[in-house]
Amino acid sequence: MARILDVGCGKNKYAGALGVDRNPATDADVLCDLSRPPYPFCDASFDEIRAVHVVEHLEDVIRFMEEMHRLLRAGGRLYLVTPHYTDAGSFRDPSHRWHLNSFSFYYFTQPREYGFYSPVRFREQRIRVRLLKLWRWLGLEWLVNHSRAFRKFWEEYLCFMIRGKEIHFWFEAVKGAS
Amino acid sequence: MSALGVAGRRILDVGCGRGKYPAAIGIDRSLATQADVICDWARGYPFADSQFDEVRLIHVIEEVDDILATLAEVHRVARPGARVVIVTPHYTDHSSYCSPTHRWHLSSFSLWFFSDKPREYDYYAPAQFRERRVEVKLLRLWRWLGLEFLVNRFRWFRRFWEYYLCFVIRGKHITFELEVIK
Repeated sequence: MARILDVGCGKNKYAGALGVDRNPATDADVLCDLSRPPYPFCDASFDEIRAVHVVEHLEDVIRFMEEMHRLLRAGGRLYLVTPHYTDAGSFRDPSHRWHLNSFSFYYFTQPREYGFYSPVRFREQRIRVRLLKLWRWLGLEWLVNHSRAFRKFWEEYLCFMIRGKEIHFWFEAVKGAS
Repeated sequence: MSALGVAGRRILDVGCGRGKYPAAIGIDRSLATQADVICDWARGYPFADSQFDEVRLIHVIEEVDDILATLAEVHRVARPGARVVIVTPHYTDHSSYCSPTHRWHLSSFSLWFFSDKPREYDYYAPAQFRERRVEVKLLRLWRWLGLEFLVNRFRWFRRFWEYYLCFVIRGKHITFELEVIK
């Protein structure tokens, strides 16, 4: 059975996952302050970690990604969801410290230029941007997700008009000599 | 520090990373950079007062905890009349959001508190600078259409651009050149 950790599980803990949160009113199985790693688990304890609408709340994103890397086994999967910075939701919640886009994790996946920020590496498996319903109906969401070049064009030129909603990232933890 | 920069000028490159300015003394947090001195540049610099003729912060202030404290520290280590060069993304550029270390999203008027502020804000940011130059880079399309020229040529147009246009005609980065007043 896959060992799954739901970080910041809130009241919608993923079925079959172990939940960790800082708020005792949630469905968490383990309570700890997510901005103060390490979390109380051994190295390589999980096959999959889900962090849905969490990373934008934490004090230090790089330290958080390093902790995710520590907790995942080699090849383990990290699923991250966070608001796109052009969505109203990114600014509605006063506990959001970070406003992110679909290229915000390239320190970990494309380390050529800025790899010195952190030694941990992830492989980007998939990125999917969700747009507001109107743009989805008009086929723009399909275009943004269809090609990386168009996604970059959308981020640079269009996204303040054709606004984003959420970004979904799937990463694989790269460990050891690979 | 006695290292001499170009023509004997002492230059400090704060958060130099892997592209340290030629002949500058570089400080950074990480051993993997070209830094001459390792320190947490978000907290303060291990140099005496009035040491440098030029201080450069290239893509740095958007990452510090406290911009007011950082500019106070830059002011402290710079000589009277020293040049300070600051480059940071404009808050409408995608690069402002590309890094999960960017705490601040800034505009071309974000250093207003330090230069042409009204006197009632003196208590807010006591370090004094004179604004020598502010230059905005726009995305290529807008540069080709002459909008970058207009934004940089007329201060009133830059203001109009910041208020009315910049979510459509998006910025890229801003260069501030300040002079230290002591």
